[in-house]
Amino acid sequence: MSIDINCIAVIGKQNNPLYIKNYSSSHPDLKYHYIAHTAIDVIEERVLNNPKLTDAYLGLLYAMEDLAVYGFMTNTRVKIILVIAVTDNVIKDADIKAIFTKVHSAYVSHVCNPFHNLDQDFVASKRFSNAVDHIGQQNSRATIDV
Amino acid sequence: MSFLSPTTSSIFGGSGNEDGSAATGHGGMLVNESCLDFLMMELVDAMCRTAIDEDTDREVIFYKLEMLGYRVGQSLVERFTVDRPRFTDTLDVVKFICKDLWVIMFKKQVDNLKTNHRGVYVLQDNNFRWFMRMSTDIGGTDSSSKATPYLWFPCGVIRGALANLGVSSVVMAETSNLPQCKYFLSLSQQSQCRSRAFPSGTFQIKIAKS
Repeated sequence: MSIDINCIAVIGKQNNPLYIKNYSSSHPDLKYHYIAHTAIDVIEERVLNNPKLTDAYLGLLYAMEDLAVYGFMTNTRVKIILVIAVTDNVIKDADIKAIFTKVHSAYVSHVCNPFHNLDQDFVASKRFSNAVDHIGQQNSRATIDV
Repeated sequence: MSFLSPTTSSIFGGSGNEDGSAATGHGGMLVNESCLDFLMMELVDAMCRTAIDEDTDREVIFYKLEMLGYRVGQSLVERFTVDRPRFTDTLDVVKFICKDLWVIMFKKQVDNLKTNHRGVYVLQDNNFRWFMRMSTDIGGTDSSSKATPYLWFPCGVIRGALANLGVSSVVMAETSNLPQCKYFLSLSQQSQCRSRAFPSGTFQIKIAKS
């Protein structure tokens, strides 16, 4: 039931990285940068090939040896990437969607901050960082307790 | 800013939810319409008052009000497209502006939308909410020209909303007889809503030294 989140990445509309945070100790940060980069290509391919698909949640993008990458694209072309460790448990779509919704609402709250400028470099506010950390670590902490 | 229940007010989603829960669309905090009316009155008046020379500074006032509206439009769209399915094309985006965004800001939809299908759209509002209580003694063109600065903030909101949805545009507005106003949108032909291949390799990796 508990999902082990390894990384949460937020990518902007120009495909520029906005926020990438690593929650696992198993892989270095650079690996998640590469994963997020390849995820952009997969997302673009999915969106171009399925114009009828109007859901923001894009599902499982691709899987590697021990990692599964899920994608989410908002109406404002901001992409959220979630990398989780593959376990034997069945992972429900609804759980992943819930995580994406939480990250999205943290992002929306951050954008509405009047000190944040959408056209300049992204500076993660403390509230945004804390909110995303709470999402990322909550799930991994649950597995440690159990 | 007072936060009244959504039944008595509308316009402008609040941005101050303490936890991340349900900060989507109309579930968030809203702003009293009277507050917005008073703010707009003072905003336009302050801009006009601080203009040094009436004629040349009309451009400056336009620019300032429009840029304020631009930022507001970007945030509004970010917040109010949360649970919506993705937009299929540019017309869909403009329809969203006419219906949903106008309802959020002015509690009504745009009355008439015309397009030449080449990127030019005309939005007509026959009973613009901010003009409903405005009039001058002389009436006619005098009241129209005095009311025009109030249209520049919504111009910015529209442009910001379009920009954040991936459509770059130029928005102008005019009013001829007072409660009625028209917005002219010219959208650039290249927008992200259309399919086009993105070259990979535009990603810039910044690695923090640990």
